[in-house]
Amino acid sequence: MIEKLEKLLVVKDISKSYVGVQALDKVSLSINRGEIRCLVGENGSGKSTLIKIIAGVVKADEGEIIINGKKFENLHAIDSISEGIQVIYQDLSLFPNLTIAENISLNQMIERKKRFVSWKEIRNIAERELFNINKKLDLDEKVENISIANKQLVAICRALTQDAKIIIMDEPTTAITKSEINRLFSVILGLKKRGISTLFVSHKLSEVLQISEKVTVIRDGKLVGVYNTEELDHDTLSFYMSGKKIVDSLFNYQEKERQKEPLLEVKNFSKKGNFQDVNFEIRSGEIVGITGILGSGRTELALSLFGLNRPDSGEIYIDGKLVKIKSPRDAIELGLSYLPEDRLNQGLSIKQSIGNNIVVTILQRLLNRFKLFDNNKKYEAAKEWIEELNVITPSLETAAQALSGGNQQRVVIAKWLSTHPKIFILDGPTVGIDVASKSNIHNIIKGLANKGMGVIIISDEIPEIIRNCNRIIVIREGRIVKKVNTDEVTEGKLLDILARKSIRVI
Amino acid sequence: MGWYYLLGKYSKHSKTLTLFIIMISVFVVISIFLPGKFLTIRNFQSMFSQIPEFGLLAIAVMLAMLTGGIDLSIVATANLAGIVAALILTKFTFPQIGGYEELLTIILAIASALTVSLICGFLNGLLVAYVGVPAILATLGTMGLFSGIAIIITKGYGIIGFPEKFLFIGSGTIFLIPMPMIIFILCALVAILILNKTTFGFSVYMLGSNPIAARFSGINNENILIKTYMMSGLFSGLASIIMISRVNSIRPGYGSVYLLQAILVSVLGGLDPSGGSGSISGLIMAIITLQVLQSGFNILSFSPFFKKVIWGLILILVMVLNFYSAKLSQKSIKRLKTN
Amino acid sequence: MLKNNRRFEVQKLLKQNESYLFLVIIAYSIFITSINSSFLSLENLFDLGKSSAGMGIMAIGVFIVLLSGGIDISFTAIAISGQYIAANVLIASGVDNIFFAFFISCLVGVALGSINGLLISYFKIPTLITTLGTASVFHGALLTIVGTKAINSAQLPDCFKAFGAKNLLILTKPNGVNYGLSTFLVIFILLALLTWLILKYTMLGRGIYAIGGDINSAVRSGFNVAKIQFFIYCYVGFLAGIAGVLHISLIRYSNPTYIVGTELSVIAAVVLGGTRITGGSGTIIGTIMGVAMVTILNNSLILVGLSSYWHNFFVGLIIIISVSITSYQSKRSIGNIVFRR
Repeated sequence: MIEKLEKLLVVKDISKSYVGVQALDKVSLSINRGEIRCLVGENGSGKSTLIKIIAGVVKADEGEIIINGKKFENLHAIDSISEGIQVIYQDLSLFPNLTIAENISLNQMIERKKRFVSWKEIRNIAERELFNINKKLDLDEKVENISIANKQLVAICRALTQDAKIIIMDEPTTAITKSEINRLFSVILGLKKRGISTLFVSHKLSEVLQISEKVTVIRDGKLVGVYNTEELDHDTLSFYMSGKKIVDSLFNYQEKERQKEPLLEVKNFSKKGNFQDVNFEIRSGEIVGITGILGSGRTELALSLFGLNRPDSGEIYIDGKLVKIKSPRDAIELGLSYLPEDRLNQGLSIKQSIGNNIVVTILQRLLNRFKLFDNNKKYEAAKEWIEELNVITPSLETAAQALSGGNQQRVVIAKWLSTHPKIFILDGPTVGIDVASKSNIHNIIKGLANKGMGVIIISDEIPEIIRNCNRIIVIREGRIVKKVNTDEVTEGKLLDILARKSIRVI
Repeated sequence: MGWYYLLGKYSKHSKTLTLFIIMISVFVVISIFLPGKFLTIRNFQSMFSQIPEFGLLAIAVMLAMLTGGIDLSIVATANLAGIVAALILTKFTFPQIGGYEELLTIILAIASALTVSLICGFLNGLLVAYVGVPAILATLGTMGLFSGIAIIITKGYGIIGFPEKFLFIGSGTIFLIPMPMIIFILCALVAILILNKTTFGFSVYMLGSNPIAARFSGINNENILIKTYMMSGLFSGLASIIMISRVNSIRPGYGSVYLLQAILVSVLGGLDPSGGSGSISGLIMAIITLQVLQSGFNILSFSPFFKKVIWGLILILVMVLNFYSAKLSQKSIKRLKTN
Repeated sequence: MLKNNRRFEVQKLLKQNESYLFLVIIAYSIFITSINSSFLSLENLFDLGKSSAGMGIMAIGVFIVLLSGGIDISFTAIAISGQYIAANVLIASGVDNIFFAFFISCLVGVALGSINGLLISYFKIPTLITTLGTASVFHGALLTIVGTKAINSAQLPDCFKAFGAKNLLILTKPNGVNYGLSTFLVIFILLALLTWLILKYTMLGRGIYAIGGDINSAVRSGFNVAKIQFFIYCYVGFLAGIAGVLHISLIRYSNPTYIVGTELSVIAAVVLGGTRITGGSGTIIGTIMGVAMVTILNNSLILVGLSSYWHNFFVGLIIIISVSITSYQSKRSIGNIVFRR
């Protein structure tokens, strides 16, 4: 039957569990030739696990995998690749010290078991692939010197040299600008014309609606459904993804009357290449959301507030007093905490115990009168926060790497809460976390604000911003382009503001 | 769930237990095969007097490796410090201050040696922390620099003949325990205290595990690195004082075999070369094991060259065993995660 | 606004390093010649070429190891082992043939290098610790098994002496004394060329760069990383074997405690030439220039009247200064301390 040949990839009833978490529960997916499919779900829904199983990198507990009509009992990465499945992970796996031409062509040279290098051939292959996606790049440029968007295109070209039938892209649009996203989409359309399918994994609804033909939605490890894109709109898709209606428990800001000064005030903050003329303030009890696509300068701004990215000019006032923050230690002593974007590399020491990870910020407080550690104090401090935040762990001595993403994030939050901060900046607090933990963390954050903390959430997930903040600041290309109260906007309107090309300064 | 708890505690303690068993077994085996010469007070005293200088150097290397770096210049530092002290002891004369000149000279010599070694450590720390040079290269370079200065000063010759009072440090005994051993025990205890009970020590471990997360947690990485390398230098300086007072001489290049042995003993003692874990107690057990072996080899009259072969083999063997044990523990973690 | 300013700086840096070094070499040579005019004479240069060829060949080995992101400090032990064993075999067997000497020495070199290769590629032991251990084992074994007796000029087979005297181009000074371009230098240049060809025109060579760039990506791309690493260390052994024979032919003497201890100078030369210890970047030309610079520096110290005692000091200083410059520049231009150590 023609249909059988058309179905390139079929996975049926795939299940996978890790300690304490059912990552996937009987999920099925099938992709046809030349199809553009989006795999959609919130962070922690199981998307990444499914991709890894398809790529042969992770083994499913149950289920069937059929590629090109062949059934695979024990799929290895090399099988997946030889059947034409190419995955482009978020880190792109390129060689920074080699040229664009080499990065594109080397894999094919290896596949063809070539011993000797013909530079002419390397250039030809690279040129051909770039031509096919209608992009000009300097073939001799080292990959470490080019932008992330271009790196992505290089990765795609490389995937294409190996006779790819399905290209799977894992969250490709998190780090590129709007125009670069459009170029990426035109490339994907070009692939379709050549009969190559694309499985586009994302949680960014507007992009999903823009490029896909069909959408597979998973939530909490379970398949919600497969829909034709033309039958979906933003709100329904969001509903399927989250299972909740949008206008849900918004955050209610309770103004603390006693306040005269804002907790944090930032004036004329500028750093060349990062951000320009940033002015904002935050009061006790508020949760302010800072949003903008990656590269807009939001993380750079946060790092500057935390002492890790010295600004060229500008002032910071805490409780009305001018302060100088030259290092994280300064920031901590002034009552600032920062939850970093990259939990595993910046937030935790994964080989160290949970207890150690929690107390590292409050070492001074655990000393006895000889300036030596009091083990009891250490134990008590760590235990207090484990219980407060419901971290599921058998012991304080367990290494942080043994925990699930949600629990790990709670440990990082604990580490900061133990410093009793006045101002808490959270950068991407729920990335890669299962849905249950996510709403739990959101509740924790709301609770903190209600007790008087000033909270800043940096995120590119519009629903998260809308549901948790009372004020929103939009940053584009380093400048603040909009400041609104949450009750003045809708998700759609916010997306428009983010996408608009022209810079409208308030 | 209980499995995780056991695994966490088990792996930390199992390493110590294995080490303990190795140490005891080696001791027992050598005792059985060479009872006559090994189990004598003289031999034990000899071992006890050799362990300290080496042990201090081993602690120096371990400190640097805890931060994920390494210090290849420890022997060169010790050498230079020792030469400076030796010069003062032999060439410098205090003006007459009523009979205390000798004591003052000795104090000056010791203080100079320690100062020199601190400066050496400071330079290492500066290069690694502020300039950003990878520790291997930085300390390779300073190794050349320091040994070079030592050669320039002495023109290749040794220095001999130190005052008797000074030699007490190296060969005297208090209650039958050799003086060097007393110094070593004190220093080791201080090191244990610093590493386990102070904020500095805690920061060293966190920095070694993940320097980026450490920075994000408010730890001043540069500060900690400089202090660590200075401490390394200091321990090297202490080692040099024991060395020169024990042998009553110093020449440039002395003790070059110690570098390999110090790294061997650190790795054997459970240190992770990428940083973040390792304990002094493990180190000491490894030192004792090595010293017992060394003693056995001496009794069997192994040539120094043959000993070189054995130390190298042991280092490699330990790393290979680490490889296999890491594989095993990965398998069990995987099994636990999917259950 | 958020352009990658890095791009231009890193490019500049790389281009800068080799040409900068070249200028320094020229400037320093002129400076030394002004103090002692015999420096820039052809005779002196040929002489320098001959005596530094051995170091240069070992530097090529260190260069490709560094390219792959590793480090090897056992090459001197391998060189002297190759040399001493070859000399002893020739004497014992009575065969007086330089090619046979090369054969033995290289065989020993590759054998010892393969041990390094195995430990590093299969057991994944950190390269510094591996080679620290094997250096000790190789050298100790040589001294224990083969012996410690030096071989003096009288006992040395003639082929070595003849080879050492062989020149490719002979010129005569006004006073009648001959001097020439030694075959040593030619061998060095040929080996450099061979290495360059391997690195540029074979997948093996590109694999070395790939491993140094990102070892995980190399695995994912399908490079046989273990095989490539194994080759690297065998190749280093091979080069060390050749250097060993050159050395004995140069000084007409073989003492098994020689050569070991000179690792620092060789590494300094390679690092000075711009090769990064983190792997993935470096050039043969840079390495050759680094060797030239270290040789010139050494030679100039003697000509200026500073005794050889200053050698270690200067070598250490060179390493520190050159690595500091590259490290500091790259730290600044990447800017964000946050994402690096």
